[in-house]
Amino acid sequence: MSWTNNRSGRLVSGLAPLLLPYLVLFCGGVMLTICQSFGVFTPLPHAGAAFDAYAKILTDPAFFTSFWFSLGVAMVSAFCAVAAGAFLAYRVWQLPAKLANAALIYKIPLILPHISVAFVVLVFWSPSGILASMAHSLGFIQTMQDFPNILYSGWGLGMVLAYTLKGTPFAMLLVLALLVRFDVRQIQTAAMLGASGVRIFFSIVLPRMAPAMHTSFIILFLYGFGAFDIPFVLGESRPGMLSIHVYNLYFKHDLARRPEAMAILTMMFFFAVIFIIAYSKIVQRLDNGVRKL
Amino acid sequence: MKHTVTLLFLVLFFAVPAGVLVLISLAPGWRFPDVWPAAFSFSGIAFFLQQKEQILSSLASSFVFSLLTVGVTFFMCLVPAAVFARNDFTGKAVLEGLLLTPALVPPMTFAMGLHYFFIKLSVADTLPGVVLILAIFSYPYMFRALVAGFQAMGEHYRICARNLGAGPFLILWQVELPLLMPAVVAGGSVVFLVAFSEYFLVFLMGGGRVASFTGMLMPLLASSNRSLAAVLTLIFLLLPVGLFFILDLSVMRSFRKKGMA
Repeated sequence: MSWTNNRSGRLVSGLAPLLLPYLVLFCGGVMLTICQSFGVFTPLPHAGAAFDAYAKILTDPAFFTSFWFSLGVAMVSAFCAVAAGAFLAYRVWQLPAKLANAALIYKIPLILPHISVAFVVLVFWSPSGILASMAHSLGFIQTMQDFPNILYSGWGLGMVLAYTLKGTPFAMLLVLALLVRFDVRQIQTAAMLGASGVRIFFSIVLPRMAPAMHTSFIILFLYGFGAFDIPFVLGESRPGMLSIHVYNLYFKHDLARRPEAMAILTMMFFFAVIFIIAYSKIVQRLDNGVRKL
Repeated sequence: MKHTVTLLFLVLFFAVPAGVLVLISLAPGWRFPDVWPAAFSFSGIAFFLQQKEQILSSLASSFVFSLLTVGVTFFMCLVPAAVFARNDFTGKAVLEGLLLTPALVPPMTFAMGLHYFFIKLSVADTLPGVVLILAIFSYPYMFRALVAGFQAMGEHYRICARNLGAGPFLILWQVELPLLMPAVVAGGSVVFLVAFSEYFLVFLMGGGRVASFTGMLMPLLASSNRSLAAVLTLIFLLLPVGLFFILDLSVMRSFRKKGMA
């Protein structure tokens, strides 16, 4: 028995440099958020009952509007980014070696910070932006007001555009990393057996890319759901993203409302955790039904 | 033909925006309905030069806390990654999943809770506070890269070195670290980019006291001087590209010298 004790002791001490900060900073941070949502450790002594903040939020229709709105923006942008990213990655993978270096420009939005990508979207899509100017010179519109109100339509389209632009190269990167080890002979065989390009893509290439697509979808979806940077530049006041809602409660209202901000964060945290678990379970189940090549 | 379409698409969506930023930085007066700037001027760049001390100091600050974050995540992950790559134990998959969560869940959810704690410890509004919060958010990228690096390396080099009488530190320094370099560079570049381009966490934990390039850029995005914002965004693009280029060149050269690549 002493051998196993020794071994687990060695394991724990080997993992300690990571486990300690993980437990103290990450788990501790989440715990503090949860505590503060119940009114414990808040800067102001909490007067009401423990679940006051939750009661207040869950009876507020604005919270649900912004929850569904965040969910929608994140879902649509992650889906578009993963779909575009997977398709482009396949096309880039097919490029002859000479052109492959030129394709590296896809990494540009990957390097740009989120707020810069939001800036690019502003430059292109605002009513006085480049696309409006092009529409004007092509004779589609006469004045700025004729340009469709994309950024402030209440649908969060600006944010969707920015997240998609930022997320597509990310999905490409993960998918390309998988495709490197993909044997081109599988495609050649399928083509010889008479499969069309579309059939090859959906029956052979797509299942191969799927793990990277799932990973990138989880990452991009949760990022879009809870991040602050892009909504801060492109967000509309109503409906707003949850992160902006929390920011306003945290910084702009008085300290007595701190538990409400923390309650929203707590719910966002558990939503994210449940989403990760549910998504991986579903993927696992789908995977079991698929024949492996 | 097919390949041309692919490349055209990539250029249109990923390179044209960067090109437009170059135009904006050179043409502050570019307005609707001009498709091409009516006049070019260097006033945006002049503005940049005027404020260059503030801009460069925020750039330096961003650079410093990003590099420190890379260093901290490296030391956090090095030994655990080796342990992870070389051992099988019950609950390993679950633990790996748990250790990756900080990069997945919205960073606000733990950062805002920690904020209170950091204020009590008076690390809020300081450089260590910013580095810590960025490290806890970005270490999963370093961890995954290092685990993959250790797995690719295998155990033979280490065993061979040990049989020749090398101690653990000598093995690490002379044998494992050089072999691990590509993984460190890969993980480190992602961590650097994440830290360098983060706005909110630096704003929260730095409280405006720790200058950052994103913090400098943010108010300019909405201002009427789009030219300066474009100049700063281009710096954002060029700095990491230059850094990675140099890194790639030097790492690859040292590898080729040793006949390993």
